[in-house]
Amino acid sequence: MVNLTIDGRAIQAPKGKTILEVADANGIFIPRLCYHPALKPIGACRICVVEVKPGPPRPIPACATPVTEGMEVNTTSERLQQIRDELMKLVLINHAMECPICDKGGECELQDLTHALAVEKVDLEAVKLAPNPDYESLFVERHPDRCVTCGRCVHICRDHVGAMGINFMQRGYFTELGSGALPLDCEFCGSCIDICPVGALINKLWKYRARAWEVEKTETACPFCGGGCTYELHTRDGRILRVRNEESILLCSRGRFGFPVVEAPDRLKTPLIKENSNFREATWDEALDLVAAKFKEIAESAGPNAIYGVGSARATNEANYLFQKFFRQGLGSNQLDNPGRYTYIQALRGLAAVFGAPQVSGVEAATTPPQPYQSPLTPGEGAQGSGFPFVLGHFEDLPKADLALVLGADVTPEMPPLGWKLLRALDNENFRLVLANPRGTKFDRYAHLSLRYKPGTERILLAGLFKAFLAANPDWTPAVSAKGLEDFKESFKKVTLKDVAAKTGVDETLIQETAALLAQAQAPAIICGTELLAQDKGEQNALALADLFLLIGKPGTPGSALYPVAEKNNTRGVCEAGVMAEHLPGYGHLEKAARGLPLPEMLDKLEAKDEAAPQALYLLGGDLLRMVPHRSRTEKLLKKVPFLVVQDAFLTDTAKLAQVVLPVAVHAEQEGTFISSDGTLGVLAQALSTNGVRPDWQIIGQLGERLGYKLGASHPKQIFRELAKTSPLWAGLGPKGSYPLMPGEVTGTFVPFEVDLSLPGRRPYTLIVGKALNHSGSFTTHGPEGTLKVTPRAEMLINPDDAKNLGLTDGDPAKITSSQGEISAPVVLAPEMPPGVVFLPEHFAAPPVHLLTLNSNLVRVTIQKG
Amino acid sequence: MDLPRLEAILSRYEGESWDLIPVLQDIQDAYSYLPKDELQVVSERLNVPMTQIYSVATFFKMFSLLPKGKHQIKVCLGTTCHLRGGGRVVESLSHRLGVEVGYTTKDMQFSLETVGCLGSCAQAPVMMVDDKYFGRSTVDKVPKILKLYK
Ligand code: SF4
Ligand code: SF4
Ligand code: SF4
Ligand code: FES
Ligand code: FES
Repeated sequence: MVNLTIDGRAIQAPKGKTILEVADANGIFIPRLCYHPALKPIGACRICVVEVKPGPPRPIPACATPVTEGMEVNTTSERLQQIRDELMKLVLINHAMECPICDKGGECELQDLTHALAVEKVDLEAVKLAPNPDYESLFVERHPDRCVTCGRCVHICRDHVGAMGINFMQRGYFTELGSGALPLDCEFCGSCIDICPVGALINKLWKYRARAWEVEKTETACPFCGGGCTYELHTRDGRILRVRNEESILLCSRGRFGFPVVEAPDRLKTPLIKENSNFREATWDEALDLVAAKFKEIAESAGPNAIYGVGSARATNEANYLFQKFFRQGLGSNQLDNPGRYTYIQALRGLAAVFGAPQVSGVEAATTPPQPYQSPLTPGEGAQGSGFPFVLGHFEDLPKADLALVLGADVTPEMPPLGWKLLRALDNENFRLVLANPRGTKFDRYAHLSLRYKPGTERILLAGLFKAFLAANPDWTPAVSAKGLEDFKESFKKVTLKDVAAKTGVDETLIQETAALLAQAQAPAIICGTELLAQDKGEQNALALADLFLLIGKPGTPGSALYPVAEKNNTRGVCEAGVMAEHLPGYGHLEKAARGLPLPEMLDKLEAKDEAAPQALYLLGGDLLRMVPHRSRTEKLLKKVPFLVVQDAFLTDTAKLAQVVLPVAVHAEQEGTFISSDGTLGVLAQALSTNGVRPDWQIIGQLGERLGYKLGASHPKQIFRELAKTSPLWAGLGPKGSYPLMPGEVTGTFVPFEVDLSLPGRRPYTLIVGKALNHSGSFTTHGPEGTLKVTPRAEMLINPDDAKNLGLTDGDPAKITSSQGEISAPVVLAPEMPPGVVFLPEHFAAPPVHLLTLNSNLVRVTIQKG
Repeated sequence: MDLPRLEAILSRYEGESWDLIPVLQDIQDAYSYLPKDELQVVSERLNVPMTQIYSVATFFKMFSLLPKGKHQIKVCLGTTCHLRGGGRVVESLSHRLGVEVGYTTKDMQFSLETVGCLGSCAQAPVMMVDDKYFGRSTVDKVPKILKLYK
């Protein structure tokens, strides 16, 4: 603690805080313009000057000066007031006085400051600068003549987003915020807009739709990825006008500009029933009666196992919990799973093999009165846990890691918050970033080592890494108790670095350097993405990474953890709520014999016309056709199912195959919770009315009622309590909290993985099917006013030399053929793609990229002009 | 885009981000301005974002983002020249050539710009065409000077 006085008041303050922070904490207002709590001090505007004794004779900026023992700070002398007055006049000289039409009116910091400092007139004259507005760019409108050159936007974009989409141009008096060429070509996250103190950066979706003080604000969770951001919806007259994150300001493009999907013209409004292969609109009673009658008939004639359920990573924990209850308690079967089977569940299985299933002891019933969305359980004294959830990291801790190995993840498109936290980790100069990816990604710019391996060779690369590591550290002992190291070492006996280098395309020395960095790291983190997990042997990939973490990880050291990407808003929650063939809620144990069929096996049964093949499918959203490999097969098989029910907000390709479609409420129209990729509980609050559609949980409950099931679905709050009661792992969890909240005892067993290539076939190019920054599943492809504007279609990224050899230039259509099918897509020349590797995003209806894939997101293809 | 020409420049450097300014200088010398397509390649090779390149390119007066004319006219507006009528010389040139300061004539013959003191205050007002100085270049001399280059 430090003792000082501010304006004569004696104050104690923690060391390291700045004068401005201490003044704020003590209710003393120092005027400021460029300072923002979400950023490091910029020190550009000098409005915050104060006089300090002992100290230099000239006033110094309070925002950038730390408090010291015995400091006497004066914030209000006449000299200071004069300086501020002068500075304000300089700022205002060129500031277009357009407050009546400026969208920042009412929440403009310059307006407030001019008022607070009572700057009455600007008696300075100077050359007028050209206004140079930018009306062209998407989402962001720029008015450089309103800019006060505080630098906040440049800093947030460069240091927090890592996009560097905007910068100061010219210099001195002529300094102007610009982007170089027009229009803006950036991530369109809009973070610069909300950090700007004035109206120099305007949100185009918000512009002229309301004044700042006219909106209603609802805090809610973002539905567009597993990043777990919480933000405020600003609504008026039943419409969302904008989305803001008041705390860190940061959101990604989907989060900030994705909301128009709520109003997408193709949203379903009424239930649909198929008659003579055409849909007709139906009432809720009609549709629910029909589904209930059909389910009843099938369950009676063919048994409860003939109805198969697919949960959804889009739906809330409450909906998913109720869904599995519908099957398990209502129908009395375990025939259900979720599409995470193709990605995240692969990670869970790999992790569980090495670190074991979750076990928790010492959890008690909470004694505090129940709060909404607070677990009724609490970790008692001495509570402890073990198993894989205890090696999964929280985003907040990632900056404490001193090394991150990122394997097969294009971090920002897959999970923007992981990127934000990596940038914070990079603030620490001892932090090392190792990127391993077949193609160049945004974070290559920051990487200390980049390993560019051939797609599908990740396990060979990892084997090489183990080999190099164990050769250099023969007596290495893992930080936690680990079994099976000797056998594990044996499994690499035949592996040679030379062979690894030849197969992966990564230099031997690079592998050795990586191994050396891993050995030095005191708090290593491992990040892996969906692109790795979505391979046919995704589980083996996860297993190899789990082994690696067991070898080098320092569980218990903050930041040292595994970060597998759980792609969608509730990818993790749908598993924990028990919508899995092999688990009850809270990863509860299920005897082998009682387990249901995993989703891919259910499809196999359909194909084999097996007796165990379902006769009815109940899909809780999730466009299987668009996201599951080998689309033509999936389509053929789903068509075989006599009775298909789909709950979704849109008539997706999969929903089109259904007999009954039930329209659901989206995030802003309901209550409930999500579990983010890092185990944070996001709570939805209802900001809009449902206008005829219904929340998932309600539909499931109403269906249950018709079938005479006692599901006890009265409200999401009550469903959450029931779910949380079955999940000791969640003990102590409440809104915006992250679990586990008890200490973990991490132990593990090394499990050898298959060292083989994941990509058979002979065609000359390898296609990677992955994620685009501006889309979230197929959800965001519906709102024409949202991020679809930035990325309106699927384009194939291809190396410029490859393109040249094929006679293709930017925008040309290419014919892409695999052994499964053929599609056409326009190409974009992309120097970040290595020769022989092409990339297509999977979100779009057209072209349907999964027509090409077989059992993986990687597939060999032939490319032709045309 | 003339890629070999650009490659010849880039090959003189290591491809590190701190090579940016010398690379831009070489491009400016070779092309007499910084063409956008070339900058895009520089951005990729040196791993420097375009906005950073533009920021540098607009900060230093030695760089131009627009093609320059065959002849560069620089009129001094340093203190002495300013007092001795440099401003009128600029106006006259601008009028006769039909081009604003900072721009190039349509026929790409002349670029017109103003500069700070050229260090020949005794001769004020001073202007330069390419490497040649013209002292006491009053308004009435402007047509004669231009004629030398037409
Ligand atoms: S929208 Fe985001 S990426 Fe684009 S300039 Fe603003 S902060 Fe940077
Ligand atoms: S645009 Fe806004 S945030 Fe950016 S420098 Fe100008 S005033 Fe500051
Ligand atoms: S990072 Fe994910 S959770 Fe956050 S705003 Fe973007 S889509 Fe939403
Ligand atoms: S607020 Fe301190 S310098 Fe701007
Ligand atoms: S002021 Fe023009 S040469 Fe010095």
